[in-house]
Amino acid sequence: MIRLLLSHQWKSFWRSRNAGKSLALQIIIGFITLYLLASAIGLGFLLQKLLSDFFPGQDVIKIFCGFILYYFLSDILIRFMIQDLPTLTIQPYLVQNIKRSQLIRFLNVRSMFSAINFIPLFLFIPFTIMAIAPKYGGLAAFTFIISIVSLTLFNHFIILYVKRKSILNSWWYVIFFGVIGAFAAADYFHLFSLRNVSAFVFTKMLAAPLICALPPGIAALAFINNYRFLFKNLYLEDIVGKGKKKESADYAFLNRFGHIGDLVGLDIKLILRNKRPRSVAMISLMLLFYGFIFYKPQYIQEGKWFILIFGAIFITGLFIITYGQFLFAWQSAHFDGIMAGNLDVKTYIKSKLVLFTGVSTIILLISSLYGLMSWKLIVLQLAAYLYNIGIQSIIAVYFATYSYKAIDIGRAATFNYQGMGAEKWIYSLAVYIVPIVIYLPFGLLINAWAGILALGVLGLISFLLQDWWTDILTKEFLKRKYKILTGFREK
Amino acid sequence: MITVNNLIKAYAGKVVVDIAALQVNEGEIIGLVGNNGAGKTTFFRLILDLIKADRGSISSKEKNVAVSEDWKPYTAAYLDEGFLIDYLTPEEYFYFVGKLNNRSKADVDEFLKNFDTFFDGSVLKSGKYIRELSKGNQFKVGIAGCLLQNPEVLLLDEPFANLDPTTQMRLIKMLKEMHERRRMTILISSHDLNHVTDVSTRILLMEKGLIIKDLHTNQDTLSELEDYFKV
Repeated sequence: MIRLLLSHQWKSFWRSRNAGKSLALQIIIGFITLYLLASAIGLGFLLQKLLSDFFPGQDVIKIFCGFILYYFLSDILIRFMIQDLPTLTIQPYLVQNIKRSQLIRFLNVRSMFSAINFIPLFLFIPFTIMAIAPKYGGLAAFTFIISIVSLTLFNHFIILYVKRKSILNSWWYVIFFGVIGAFAAADYFHLFSLRNVSAFVFTKMLAAPLICALPPGIAALAFINNYRFLFKNLYLEDIVGKGKKKESADYAFLNRFGHIGDLVGLDIKLILRNKRPRSVAMISLMLLFYGFIFYKPQYIQEGKWFILIFGAIFITGLFIITYGQFLFAWQSAHFDGIMAGNLDVKTYIKSKLVLFTGVSTIILLISSLYGLMSWKLIVLQLAAYLYNIGIQSIIAVYFATYSYKAIDIGRAATFNYQGMGAEKWIYSLAVYIVPIVIYLPFGLLINAWAGILALGVLGLISFLLQDWWTDILTKEFLKRKYKILTGFREK
Repeated sequence: MITVNNLIKAYAGKVVVDIAALQVNEGEIIGLVGNNGAGKTTFFRLILDLIKADRGSISSKEKNVAVSEDWKPYTAAYLDEGFLIDYLTPEEYFYFVGKLNNRSKADVDEFLKNFDTFFDGSVLKSGKYIRELSKGNQFKVGIAGCLLQNPEVLLLDEPFANLDPTTQMRLIKMLKEMHERRRMTILISSHDLNHVTDVSTRILLMEKGLIIKDLHTNQDTLSELEDYFKV
């Protein structure tokens, strides 16, 4: 039965509408995965040498044991972000003569074929064989590997559970990150040392291999827990997650902008109420903290303005760049309605530019807190902001008129390449190149501040010409309107 | 009201709509019938300028719909869920459509009062987004959204298919009233021969993209259609 279901999945992949394109993407992802696995093996073999180089004179195995819990702590965080929930379009199978337990077993088996489950094996097994087996004997090495595998499986199933739970109730997000954060903070502030705990537990394990029964035990618990949860929740409405009463919202402050305001309000609701655009918006907010990476005090002192201005452009413009990537495609599900509605295209295009300007302004205000580090950063960010609302936003809308692929806004964003096409890569390129082209002549011939000034002034001029741009973009949009509509209708 | 001129639309070499000439007069209720693949929905999409004609044109009030956007203020349509913004609550959707047509919130509320029986208590204040409503209720939202625009031209694609019998009757009654009051021009496609002959003043029978019959409705129309569709 499981083989039959697997073959259906295989078919659904190959027979999907854009199998060719997603194949190319799968190959790229495949290469990246292979690379990661190869690095893991390489690191696994070198681990012994590296550890003894970094911690000369100490017991390598003890050091190694000290890191194991760190590894699994970060593993669980990464999993939370990238591990897919195995989904099967379950509806057609529920009414067939298949037992629920078989469906669940399939979901669980299927979920385990993930590169992230193999990395710890590749990383830890070579070390275990090379360093642990000679010293503690084969049995200890074997049980040690068993416990590594168990911890991996524990992480695997606990994450599936937490992710499924957090779809139903977002408090699970908070609790999950709270617990992980508490561990990290406690370790960081030396309340207790994760490293000592880890070293203690695992060296004990090596000394008394019987303790190794413990990790398989907790892995089994995580598995059973996940299994039971699925068994109870294999009803459609539970998977879709109904229940909460939805309230209507009205953004009064937008009313004075007329139809443009209405459309902006629509976009705001789209972002707040749908998974994929919401996570895109969240990411651009979180990346506000990138400032702590880009704006290094030594960069400011040494006057590395080139790096700083690009940091500023990304920080103030990330929303435009990422949300603009699918500007019209976000609305692909009801684009027919938008185009047939009592709404002229120009107003529609203009509303997108207004949205960009509004959000960028808010981001600018928040990010001006970086001014506490140096007032120069405020000037820098202002120039970047002007560039973004004046030029970046035009680039985003222009490339959006070339994007013909529908996307499902209800699905998660990470590692979701639905709707990605060649034009998206060109767009990313344009995002990098245009500011460089503007900056470089002034930056090289005069000085860095002239380059920054050029970005700001050109941005401002372009912003003042927004109506003129809107006309051009409307014409561009109308040229490809039918193509966009047809593309969006094909789901 | 709507004039079709040498209209041809083909997909992959197969002609799906081929209408040499058609004149839809103001105040007519046109019933579009035909089996699946006859080109009804494609024809509607062409009228709404959602797809590009390979040849020929459609004019609304003497203006080519593919060139000017002047038809938008007086035209309302509901073809499928693609016309609904599914992450809004029904109320939000109505206010949004109302605003686009310059109707205030109070105005919309007043208008919706007439729909209490039509909605049957399961649309307004349901605490659901449109995407969580049943197909039938989504259709009700779509139709009400159209009528809210107080259009001169109304396009509905198979409105009877997803509605319960009571609502079907109510819809027919409502369309007839609107038509009398406003001389609204209505185009309806349907597989329900009874309903469509009941409501329409003129029937267009389509087959493989062609309009093969153009009938003014009278007491014989239904039997004539039943004859055509006989197995």
